[in-house]
Amino acid sequence: MKTTFAFAAVAAFVAVSVPAHADNMVFSSWGGTTQDAQKAAWASPFTEKTGITVVQDGPTDYGKLKAMVEAGQVTWDVVDVEGDYAAQAGKNGQLEKLDFSVIDKSKLDPRFVTDYSVGSFYYSFVIGCNADAVSACPKTWADLFDTAKFPGKRTFYKWSAPGVIEAALLADGVAADKLYPLDLDRAFKKLDTIKSDIVWWSGGAQSQQLLASAEAPFGSVWNGRMTALAASGIKTETSWEQNITAADSLVVPKGSPNVEAAMKFIAMATSAEPQAALAKATGYAPINVDSAKLMDPETAKTLPDQQTASQVNADMNYWADNRDAIGEKWYAWQAK
Amino acid sequence: MSTYSDASAAIAPLPKARRATGFGGVLPALAFVAIFFIAPVAVLLLRSVLEPVPGFGNYAQLIGSATYLKIFANTFIVSGLVTAISLLIGFPVAWALAIMPGRLTSVIFAILLLSMWTNLLARTYAWMVLLQRTGLINKMLIGMGLIDKPLALVNNLTGVTIGMTYIMLPFIILPLYGVIRKIDPSTLQAAALCGANRWQCLTRVLLPLAMPGMAAGALMVFVMSLGYFVTPSLLGGTANMMLAELIAQFVQSLVNWGMGGAAALVLLVVTLSLYAVQLRFVGNQNPGGR
Repeated sequence: MKTTFAFAAVAAFVAVSVPAHADNMVFSSWGGTTQDAQKAAWASPFTEKTGITVVQDGPTDYGKLKAMVEAGQVTWDVVDVEGDYAAQAGKNGQLEKLDFSVIDKSKLDPRFVTDYSVGSFYYSFVIGCNADAVSACPKTWADLFDTAKFPGKRTFYKWSAPGVIEAALLADGVAADKLYPLDLDRAFKKLDTIKSDIVWWSGGAQSQQLLASAEAPFGSVWNGRMTALAASGIKTETSWEQNITAADSLVVPKGSPNVEAAMKFIAMATSAEPQAALAKATGYAPINVDSAKLMDPETAKTLPDQQTASQVNADMNYWADNRDAIGEKWYAWQAK
Repeated sequence: MSTYSDASAAIAPLPKARRATGFGGVLPALAFVAIFFIAPVAVLLLRSVLEPVPGFGNYAQLIGSATYLKIFANTFIVSGLVTAISLLIGFPVAWALAIMPGRLTSVIFAILLLSMWTNLLARTYAWMVLLQRTGLINKMLIGMGLIDKPLALVNNLTGVTIGMTYIMLPFIILPLYGVIRKIDPSTLQAAALCGANRWQCLTRVLLPLAMPGMAAGALMVFVMSLGYFVTPSLLGGTANMMLAELIAQFVQSLVNWGMGGAAALVLLVVTLSLYAVQLRFVGNQNPGGR
């Protein structure tokens, strides 16, 4: 009697959970306005088209991702990660190979496509400035490192990731095409000259706050934050001179229970229209080359993909290979 | 509905059962600790000696590097500073609470608890806004003509200490209040009658009697400070990075769990040893020689 009941219960559970499973997938990103925009631009039309519900989760946490894959208990199907992490995790066997028979990569910017990842959106580290707070805004990385010409605090990204080291080397006169392999000693020596004038930002909201309050009236920030800051009514100046680009990537963790849905979702997310919608909402650039013509020229003008003339590409593969070693030196230098 | 009655039915006979079997009653608790505390720590220990290569390389790297030693030192300096300042501010507050009329006490308690229940991140950001160079405090000081250049109150040790002390204060005031309230005021009167001046009343009667509360509160604040993450991360500069931030870096961003585990275990061992020392210390100081 008991066994029959248990069996029936299990059967009922399976019956209920299997179709639910097939109609659901989980997308993890970094939260905040970017994920809201991803939900509106990608997930909603995807659900409308396929009937698959996309559950939002996050923030993305590489430790959590690793734990899921190792334990074989993957609850994230598509994850928005940083490009250098995607390259590293792909090499370490933590990601599913993407199915390019479902995802059309012919229209995607090849800089942001690997076997295991495609770009999610791309951003630039630009020189942002609160023009209300200072008499002159720095235009180049060299300006940003020149405390005599531009006195006061300046803000930089706190974590070991593409951006600051490249900026220091560019400021020191290294040519953009000679950046890699990074000369870390030279970069730290340059950074030493402004170390006491640096206020670090650890998240996008903080960088915006520092600029808006003029606690640090200028610095190296993600371009999308400058779009948001300008929209809030503050007089801003953004210099795209040698803007340093990197992309977020979409990946599928190894062992995802909904690989098929995940591939379809990525195909949708990287197609022209949803990419354009996301760019419009966030100020970050689309990685689909057809998206630009779908946007009004005013918006398109403010995106990193229109600033390629003096653009510097952060080398994600170099970072993926040297992530740990750079990280160790970076934090050692910071703590000194 | 039924869950409630089930729960009360399960709870009701417990005291009798505990008295009868002794050990049996704590088994669920022990199992809980084993599953949710001991097992993860064991896994962490294993990872710290197995990843990326078996051996004690992670520990050697932690102890052999000047950077990591400095981060350990930072952690202890900040925690010690926060504990000392919390005691200095918390003691008079707890004392005042203990001798105040009841209604005023509940108002102050409400303020204390409300601040404790407010989101930590929100409070930390509030401090950031208050302390920054263009913030309220600097503007006020400049407006009053006390200073002519804004003080560097945030993104450094000052900011971390102010923010953490503020967050830790309730944890020192509440245990101290409990102990001080139990001190019989007539002991102070007796001391005064015997010729003790105010200073002697404080140092030879009140402080020794309040010692268990001070020690408990100080330990709690010190230990919590050792593992603190959000406030130092937001209000501090990189020069005084603390251990919790380093561990978060290892685990979340660098995905180097071996080093993260090693650092976390060092922190755990230090904390437990402190706890052991404190147990002895408070045991000796316990008034009434229980």
